[in-house]
Amino acid sequence: MSLTSPVPGARFVDPVVLARIGNLELIAKTVVDGLINGTHRSPFFGASVDFAEHRGYVAGDDIRRVDWRVYARTDKYYIKEFEADSNANFSVLLDVSKSMGFGAKLSKLDYAKSLAACLAYLANAQRDRVGLITFDEAVVDRVPASAKHLDVVLHTLDKARPQRPGRLVEPLRRLAEHFGRRGIVVVISDFYAEPDEVFDAVGPIRYRGNDVVLFHVLDPQEIEFGFTEASSFEDMESGDQMPIVPGKLAADYRDLIKAHIETLAKRAAQQPVDYMLLNTSQPLDFALFRFLSMRQRLSRTR
Amino acid sequence: MSFLAPLFFLALAALAVPVLIHLTQKEKKSVVEFPSLMFLRKIPYESVQRRRLRDVVLLMLRLAALALIVAAFARPFLRGSELAAAPGGARDIVLLVDRSYSMGYGDTWSRAQRAAAQAIASTTPADRISVVLFADVAEVVVRSTPDSGRAVGEINAAAPGPGSTKLGPALKLAGSLLAESLLPRKEVIIVSDFQRGGWLPDDTLRLPGGTQVNAIVVEGAQGLNLALTPVALLRTREGGQERVTVTAGVLNRSADAATNVPIHLELDGRSVQDLTISAGPQASASVTFSPLTITNPNTKASVRLGSTAQSVDALERDNVFHFVVTPAAPVPVMVVSQGRPESNLYLSRALAIGEAPRFDTALQAPDALAGDAMTRARLILLNDVPVSDAAAAKLVTFVEGGGGLLVAAGQRASWPASRGDWLPASIGPPVDRTRGAPARLSGMDYGHAVFEPFRAPRSGDFSTSRFYSYRALGAAKNSSVLARFDTGEPALVERTAGRGRVVVFASTLDLSWNDLALKPMFLPFVHQLGRHLSGYKEQPSWLTIGQVLDVDAAEVAAGATSGAQARAAAGRTVLSPSGQRRDLRAADGATAASALELTEQGFYEVRGSGREAGPVIVAASNVSLAESNLDRMDPKEVVAAVTGGDPTGSTSGHDVLPDEAQELAQRVWWYLLFAGILLLIAESVLAHRLSRATR
Repeated sequence: MSLTSPVPGARFVDPVVLARIGNLELIAKTVVDGLINGTHRSPFFGASVDFAEHRGYVAGDDIRRVDWRVYARTDKYYIKEFEADSNANFSVLLDVSKSMGFGAKLSKLDYAKSLAACLAYLANAQRDRVGLITFDEAVVDRVPASAKHLDVVLHTLDKARPQRPGRLVEPLRRLAEHFGRRGIVVVISDFYAEPDEVFDAVGPIRYRGNDVVLFHVLDPQEIEFGFTEASSFEDMESGDQMPIVPGKLAADYRDLIKAHIETLAKRAAQQPVDYMLLNTSQPLDFALFRFLSMRQRLSRTR
Repeated sequence: MSFLAPLFFLALAALAVPVLIHLTQKEKKSVVEFPSLMFLRKIPYESVQRRRLRDVVLLMLRLAALALIVAAFARPFLRGSELAAAPGGARDIVLLVDRSYSMGYGDTWSRAQRAAAQAIASTTPADRISVVLFADVAEVVVRSTPDSGRAVGEINAAAPGPGSTKLGPALKLAGSLLAESLLPRKEVIIVSDFQRGGWLPDDTLRLPGGTQVNAIVVEGAQGLNLALTPVALLRTREGGQERVTVTAGVLNRSADAATNVPIHLELDGRSVQDLTISAGPQASASVTFSPLTITNPNTKASVRLGSTAQSVDALERDNVFHFVVTPAAPVPVMVVSQGRPESNLYLSRALAIGEAPRFDTALQAPDALAGDAMTRARLILLNDVPVSDAAAAKLVTFVEGGGGLLVAAGQRASWPASRGDWLPASIGPPVDRTRGAPARLSGMDYGHAVFEPFRAPRSGDFSTSRFYSYRALGAAKNSSVLARFDTGEPALVERTAGRGRVVVFASTLDLSWNDLALKPMFLPFVHQLGRHLSGYKEQPSWLTIGQVLDVDAAEVAAGATSGAQARAAAGRTVLSPSGQRRDLRAADGATAASALELTEQGFYEVRGSGREAGPVIVAASNVSLAESNLDRMDPKEVVAAVTGGDPTGSTSGHDVLPDEAQELAQRVWWYLLFAGILLLIAESVLAHRLSRATR
């Protein structure tokens, strides 16, 4: 997915990936307030190019929105309303904890950074404001959402490194205060936390009206546990070691991780929060295509 | 199976290493970074099955290889008993045949010969036979031969001797023979009557490990068994002649009473008195013969039970007891004095008293020293006389030839300066103690033979004698000061010169300078001096086989002069009871010896060569009375003692194997090491294949 772009971080945007998802639209399920016209259908009437209707002037209306041509013809004050398409805040919350550095050929963090870049690029292409927050046990970098911040977002993604242990609850709770404007919040993480803890962390963001999407990125080894040799397993975040003899243990592990994924999916459906498991062995464009398809399908039903 | 280095078995703890490696080491060596152990920690520990062993065959190979190598380093060896237990091995047999005189009891010896022949007949051509005949001493007559006929022939040619049974030396000899053996099986066969007196437990006596000991007890016909005990001699002097009363004792060791058994006293082979004696079962009795007047020296006397024609019991050797009766020979003493005759009064009177020995005193003037008089003396007393240079030369020769010299240094005593260093002390000027307190004797060497009788309390106090004058003596370096005055000056000094001794006394032996002669200890003091200087030792009338005769002392006791003894010592001939004549030589065969070991029963005669070779020495040799006790012991006691309690083999650590046998017994470790290395190679091959299979 490397690119020769003058923009740092643009290498994450694979043209093949973009070709696959170029005919799709990133449609937010929820219409948010915006100042510029976009593909996001706004729930509010505003300064838009698409005329909606006229209504009678009431005290307090902005006199700039009075349709003077109608007044000339009818001598009545009418307010001209448009069905405005406004831009949305598209924020990516990327987990850069040490556990995200796992992966033989492609680390989860690299995969996640590619994913985040693709999403940001698409969002920016449809004139959404993109922002990025990287976190581990605390907030590492924060790029406020802006229509002009794609370069900064990509640059920040490029320099993100897994360095510290991660925690979900504390950073996300603090970040929730900054999501006063409703938008789309994408959380990319491996979610090594109990499901309750995960949803406790994203709950405040969700409660502020944001559309939350959880991308659960896992390496195939984390899912299949294909180890055969007895080894000492070291927790990448805590450094704890544990002698492990795979065998019956592998089956137990697979059961546990499967139950964890199912629990996250089930709880996400209940919130409602979009949840998607991404296997780093899967092509990124395939994952994006699948995700956007799901988003479009869901937007029609909601 | 034992081990030379059992501490190496501590290394068996290393067997845990492969197990631990199999269980844990692989996990520790490869650390796998994993995003989170969150789920792994949730898995119950037991379900991990971390103790499950993989590649059990590989593990077993490693464990076996380690165990074999550790066992090899512990140096296992097969003990002798295990080697001997190997079937089909040739035997090295040592046949110990008792030929003590008790084996001559009835037909015991012929039974012993038959038993020995049967034991030899049971051997195979591969076996080796050694035959040891033993009594007091053990003698190898056949050494490790496969020729059984020769062994039987040697035994048939042997006969019981006069010795007494001593199993210890024979078993030690057997042990040394077997220790040299390379054959895998060792066996000792003891053919004996196993008298109780023949065995003294010896903790140090062990046969080589694995030696099998077989005891063959041979017993003669039961019957009367009498033995003569040593005689008692009572000497009396009547009319200038010495009379001896002989009392003989008889010991009846049988359960039958002996009545009116004839007993004879023989002198020089002729029966002079015949009596009878009766002794109850397991009892003793004695009989006293009439006193005999002994005129001839070295009279060979014997007490005999029964007669030479008809023995009273089946064991003849203890039915005769030999002894020598000889008139007590005086020690010839030459007293040289000058001047007043009373100066010799106390000395002469003292020497005249006494029987053991008697001193034959001859008073001589100093001029006699120039003649041949001193050749007839054994002891010369120079009682305050000056000695010329010529006389001194003769005296030196006399003493170094074995004579004794006492120099009593009074006013007139002198010694030529040319030979001043020969005397034990230089004779200095007189010391006058007539004024003030007289000098007294002190600092006696009570460990010396001269003063030994005065050692005990109330045995004589020399300090009561007063010395008003004495000669200042300067003790030589190689001399011994036997007594000192209270001033610390030497009073009595001795040195050994050649074969004789010389003593210098710092004062006179009369009352002119001291009152020692008036003191009670004067007489024993003079006698002790005379006995010591003359080399007199009281000689026993009989000896026992195995004892040693001191020929020199016997000659002195027989009255030999210094010159005669010196000539006799140059060459002596021994006539043994069996009639064999041989020169008395030391063990090297080149030098003359003065000791004779008695090995036969009867009378030994020792004669000096030459016409004036001194007196003939006759010594009586008798068998040990203990051997006549036929009480038997349990042979198992002997077997258990020499094999460490195991009748078929020693269990002690005193195994003595020859180097080759030891090497053979310890070779096991090579095989173990080789097997361990083979297993390691097999393990490597298997591990390689398994590794490839897993890849």
